[in-house]
Amino acid sequence: MSDGARPEAAFVLLLMQSTFWFAAGVSAFPFVLAGEPWMVGLGLASCVLAGLGSLLAAGLICRSRRARRWTLVLEWVCLGGSALLLLLPIGANRGPVSLMVNIALPLALVALLRGKKMRAAFSSHGASPTASAGG
Amino acid sequence: MAERVFSSTYLSYGLLRYEPDHGLMFDISPDHAIGLYAGLIALPIALIVMRLMPARRAVPGTVRAAAILMAMAGAVHLGLVSTHLEEPITAALFVGNGIAYLVLATMFTWRWWRLASSVLIIATLLGYLAFIALGLDTPDQVAVATKLLELTALGLVLVPVRDELRSRDRAWYWAALATGLPLLTIFSGATIWGVDLSTADARHVHVGAVLQATNDVVTPEQEAAAAQLYAETKAAITPYEDWHAAWKAGYRPGGPDNLPSTHWMNDAYAKAGYVMDPRHPQGLVYANTRRGPVLLGAMFQMQHIGQFGPDPGGPLTAWHQHENICVTPLGLEFSLMTPFAICPIGAIDVSVAPMLHVWIVDNPTGPFAVDIDPRAVAAVRARA
Repeated sequence: MSDGARPEAAFVLLLMQSTFWFAAGVSAFPFVLAGEPWMVGLGLASCVLAGLGSLLAAGLICRSRRARRWTLVLEWVCLGGSALLLLLPIGANRGPVSLMVNIALPLALVALLRGKKMRAAFSSHGASPTASAGG
Repeated sequence: MAERVFSSTYLSYGLLRYEPDHGLMFDISPDHAIGLYAGLIALPIALIVMRLMPARRAVPGTVRAAAILMAMAGAVHLGLVSTHLEEPITAALFVGNGIAYLVLATMFTWRWWRLASSVLIIATLLGYLAFIALGLDTPDQVAVATKLLELTALGLVLVPVRDELRSRDRAWYWAALATGLPLLTIFSGATIWGVDLSTADARHVHVGAVLQATNDVVTPEQEAAAAQLYAETKAAITPYEDWHAAWKAGYRPGGPDNLPSTHWMNDAYAKAGYVMDPRHPQGLVYANTRRGPVLLGAMFQMQHIGQFGPDPGGPLTAWHQHENICVTPLGLEFSLMTPFAICPIGAIDVSVAPMLHVWIVDNPTGPFAVDIDPRAVAAVRARA
């Protein structure tokens, strides 16, 4: 992929990932009604993470160094956690969707954002997306 | 015919019982598997073809990536034709859709490519959701994976890139993209989940549990065998009515005592690999009462996921396996994995090896029910 489009591709993937976290957060709330109070915390934490993911996605479009760095950290953590769960004999789902969402997606994000060229592209704070039109 | 009725020791099972089926969307339907293979084979081919096309240099990387994903989606649809020949309309739709995807995947320099691709992807997505909502198909892993490919492709088609000649880099456009794509994803996931929840399947008795396949009608021999298993198990675990004896034998509570009941597990028996041995049940279930634990029953468990145990009582003694449940160590609570194969933060996705309960107290749902009726537990607790 051309270096110029990598942050935009990463934006799309991070937006999708944040949507998945949001869906997981919302899915926890019915279980609170069924007598599982801790699920409130987990649901809220997932929604907060989804919000942070969306902010990081916007930061990538603005070529924010901090957004790139935190996205990489987040994705490495996701990748490590998912790989651990898949390797442990706990019966974690290893279907195509799980592999796409929990392994391929973070891996693609890391691949898109790492490297010297990307570090250089994010080296100076970009302007807002609208200000960069045609740039 | 013996009717299977289920209840649970866990509060939230009451909610889960409303779902008659869980698991189809996490399975690969046999007639869809070929679509998955076709999609995977299409990936390297699409990459090679893209590399051979000089026109690729004229478009941003997001467009090329979208074209590759569309080629994969097209291959999935064409792959499904061979297993849907008995459904001419479905097969024709797969052919038309697959060809449209493949053609558009090669036409990425066309002026109206973005518009045409967006319309095709959205139409395909909504068409599929209508298809499953009408009961014409059931969602599975191949379908969900393909929809995720299409949604990602849609995002890549629509996202503006800085060095494009015709820039769509406007605030309203970004806002529309950043809300529209998640909304479409949520809508797709909710529809798929809703359809999956409402699709009955005899082997998926309640959410997160898959029953062992058995004959439908109990034979007299099976009835006798089930009665014998019940009698032997009840006699063997009677000493554990004193929970101190259970503790001495190596059983330990697997959760807090503020729940109505708790499973006590014996790691040594679990590791030893006893198979439905009434003298060595892998677990015991106790009601948590003011006077301490009161024995409700035993639980046999196999060592490995997917390995169902012997079934002497046919449908009366079918084992069950919990799959794709999100468990959190916080209070040992659980929820369900979403169609996107993600659990809430702090919970992990697990499946549990097949198990069979034997309830020695009066359980309205039967002595071998997947779970004990909460009213039975409440009655035991009230008596204590």
